[in-house]
Amino acid sequence: MFIADIRKDFYEVVANQRVALLVASDIDALCACKILQALFHCDQIQYTLVPVKGWQDLGTAFLEHKEQFRYFVLINCGANVDLLEMLQPDDDSIFFICDTHRPVDVVNVYNDTQIKLLIKQDDDLGVPSYDDIFRDDDEEGDDSGNESDEGSEPSGKRRRFDEGAVERRIERQRARREWEGRRREILFDYEQYEYHGTSAAMMFFELAWVLTKDTKDMLWWAIIGLTDQWVHDKITHMKYVTDIATMQRHVSRHNHRNEDEENSLSIDCMRISFEYDLRLTLYQHWSLYESICNSCYTSCSFKLWTLNGQKKLQEFLADMGLPLKQVRQKFNSMDMSIKENLRDVIEESSNKYGMKDIRIQTFGVHFGFKNRFLASDMVHAAAALLESTEKDESDGDNFIKALDALSRSNLERLHSGIDLAKKKLMAVQQTVASCICTNLILSQGPFLYCYLMEGTPDVKLFSKPMALTLLCKYLLKAFVHSTRNKRCKLLPLIMAAPKDVDKGTVIVVGIPPESETSDKKNFFGRAFEKAAESTSSRTLHDHFDTSVIELKSEDRSKFLDALITLLS
Amino acid sequence: MFCEKAVELIRELHRMSDGQLPAFNEDGLRQVLQEMEALYEQNQSDVNEAKAAGRSELIPSIKLRHCCLLRNQRCITAYLYDRLLRIRALRWEYGSVLPANVRFHMNAEELQWFGQYKKSLACFMRSLGAGEGLDITQDMKPPKSLYIEVRCLKDHGEFEIDDGTVILLKKNSQHFLPRWKCEQLIRQGVLEHVVS
Amino acid sequence: MSDSLSDDGSINQDDSQEDVMTPAELIAKLEEAWLNEKFSPELLENKSEVVECVMEQLTHMENNLQRVKKGDAKASVHRMEIDRIRFVLSSYLRSRLQKIEKFFPHVLEKEKSRGEGDPSLLSPEEFAFAKEYYANTETYLKAVALKRMPPNLQTVDLLKAVPEPCLDSFVFLRVKERQENILVEPETDDQREYVVDLEEGSQHLIRYRTIAPLVSSGAVQLI
Repeated sequence: MFIADIRKDFYEVVANQRVALLVASDIDALCACKILQALFHCDQIQYTLVPVKGWQDLGTAFLEHKEQFRYFVLINCGANVDLLEMLQPDDDSIFFICDTHRPVDVVNVYNDTQIKLLIKQDDDLGVPSYDDIFRDDDEEGDDSGNESDEGSEPSGKRRRFDEGAVERRIERQRARREWEGRRREILFDYEQYEYHGTSAAMMFFELAWVLTKDTKDMLWWAIIGLTDQWVHDKITHMKYVTDIATMQRHVSRHNHRNEDEENSLSIDCMRISFEYDLRLTLYQHWSLYESICNSCYTSCSFKLWTLNGQKKLQEFLADMGLPLKQVRQKFNSMDMSIKENLRDVIEESSNKYGMKDIRIQTFGVHFGFKNRFLASDMVHAAAALLESTEKDESDGDNFIKALDALSRSNLERLHSGIDLAKKKLMAVQQTVASCICTNLILSQGPFLYCYLMEGTPDVKLFSKPMALTLLCKYLLKAFVHSTRNKRCKLLPLIMAAPKDVDKGTVIVVGIPPESETSDKKNFFGRAFEKAAESTSSRTLHDHFDTSVIELKSEDRSKFLDALITLLS
Repeated sequence: MFCEKAVELIRELHRMSDGQLPAFNEDGLRQVLQEMEALYEQNQSDVNEAKAAGRSELIPSIKLRHCCLLRNQRCITAYLYDRLLRIRALRWEYGSVLPANVRFHMNAEELQWFGQYKKSLACFMRSLGAGEGLDITQDMKPPKSLYIEVRCLKDHGEFEIDDGTVILLKKNSQHFLPRWKCEQLIRQGVLEHVVS
Repeated sequence: MSDSLSDDGSINQDDSQEDVMTPAELIAKLEEAWLNEKFSPELLENKSEVVECVMEQLTHMENNLQRVKKGDAKASVHRMEIDRIRFVLSSYLRSRLQKIEKFFPHVLEKEKSRGEGDPSLLSPEEFAFAKEYYANTETYLKAVALKRMPPNLQTVDLLKAVPEPCLDSFVFLRVKERQENILVEPETDDQREYVVDLEEGSQHLIRYRTIAPLVSSGAVQLI
């Protein structure tokens, strides 16, 4: 069931209890987790935090902790399956689920004892009404009653009764079949597309606000959570802008708090500001030139994988009067005179080159003299840490490192994350360039397909879901910009990359077609399931995003063929 | 030169200025003791000779050897005593069960001394407050908050906190627990205090 | 403070018929003893009545806490207070134990040679501990090395071997009761004594040796 009052029905319930936090491996979940941890610290609510990266982890974690905890809080996992069916908990376990995955499973919506959804009821849900999918089985009883009566002594009166009863029964059965047909249709429509709702971090920030315990740190984490949804293309542009406006109100409120004081804030205090900043990834921690080359938006607009594209970039820089020497330096070392109006200058020139959206609404933070970060910087750094493929690092270690990087006191960790993110972005750009130039993207009819072979440089990076999904999106954008085939521009893209060489598996990701007005709804979850079933391919649907699966390399071709047939 | 071996023993400890306990240098000790025995015997014979034959020119060397003997004794006792101090510190740092790699560096008598020290300390702590007892090896730092966030560095299995509730300490899990319950495990390196 | 939790105001009845102290006064006394012990180079008089009373107080506070409803905000504040008092007490006892171990032959000697009416340096438990420590260490040295040495070198005078506390080290203090004519420097060659008067509330940095008796009497507080 949906929780009406998050303070009364969630926070006050767990106030004197011990809670198990099961947190998924994405940045929004990490931010939500930090906000909740901060609230729990404030009110001395004891908890145990367990990172989970897929359904198996979730099941294991639940089994290990079910004896010791009654209350479980699931962050960014659990909403889109029948959780009670999956975990088979005892009757007194209670699950609070704050998950952006949609659609929310109908059983979770209509269970009113054990499942409490920390989701707003109007969060773009479209849940079918109760009567359309659940039906009391009273009629069944009547039918069997009548049928058993039939067996006993037949009499004239009875026979007449029977005729009426049989007619009514037939009518009931027909109505039932009709209802079931409608139900299947409704459920099919409801569950066909996977998409995302409001950020979990924002939900918990709202809780903090309702409790009047919200701090600037929590606000910053909520902003990072929202930005994660935008960076990884999980929400529509409209939703992003709307949510930014909500966050902007909070930011203004926090900034006004200190305006009346006689002494202004010390430079070390944290300040969050609204920025209408450039869509150049990590540009303040890199050189402007590198950032332009490695940001998806600019790279695709210029088509930097072509010679022509490179020339246009040089023209662009010349047009703005930016000397190459300056632009290739570390951003912080650029001349002040250049940095001063940089955003406006770039915006003006970008318009000339067809890049109308070079600026995006976002937020930045600064504390101390040296430390300035944009929300997207934090997202990229944390994501790089979370999916780091350095040797000897388990997923648990990476989770901890990424979580630490979000605290202001761990700047070293954050900077190492930024370095990893730069490497990752460069790897993405190079892979995109090589895929386009060697025509690795093939049209299979209803979708585009690209397979990264073993031995491709940096292919290890792409054995991780978030990194592969990011590559996939950038690749599709680049493809759309470079192909002349009008039909292909409207196709979705499936990418596969080696996941575990020893086990012979690949990771497969599907994303919806690229469009300005895309609603980001992804049907590949169901499609993958059906294709796997029909070909008995050995697949693992472990990831919380249903559009990401693991597949045995040998079954690749029959799986693809099944998909083609399914989607034609 | 005499006493060099003894000084080397001291130097060995001096090198480990961070309080670590190196392996017990049984060989070194034996060598110093042998030197002492040799010096003593030489002195004995010289003293007899000096007395009997009136050879007073032996007296300076007798005196020298005597000084060396005293120096050796002093060095040895200093070496042994300093090791005891380091072992004593281990009780306060690790608790009453020493890790195997540390025990390995201790000789039998040191282990015995440690055992006796543990007992005396335990007896003392039990007797505090007219028999009520107080574990003064806890509360080593001033308490800043009632609960702290800890991270589990290695799998430690189940861990019981006050009212019978049990926590599963698995690597990389994080917990928010009463501070005093965690102190012991933090010192043992199972948990790490996370400061946000 | 603790007053709000305890049902009856003052709970301390000393064995020796001193005036009854309020809990606040008791804790203040504990803190004084703790700081003095921490900053003094030598072991000070034992304050076992204070220790016992504080432990009683802690037990009393713990019992009170059991009765408080779970989740009451007051409970955490009181629990913090219990933790703090326990920390101060443990730290005090640890300070003492460290000094006993460090100067063990001297401490035992001093205790042996004190007069009948003089206050004892060590509590009975500390005395037992010190004796055991002495015996343990002596036995150890004998077993490992001394018995293997030449006959005339088989004993070590621990009183000489173990360093004494350095009473000439400097300490910071705050004056609680006005003192006159305190000797700062011993007589120099020109026979002039350097004395000062210590005003109440003033703070000084001075050699421990001369003001040691003032610490025991409570006229000054080491900080």
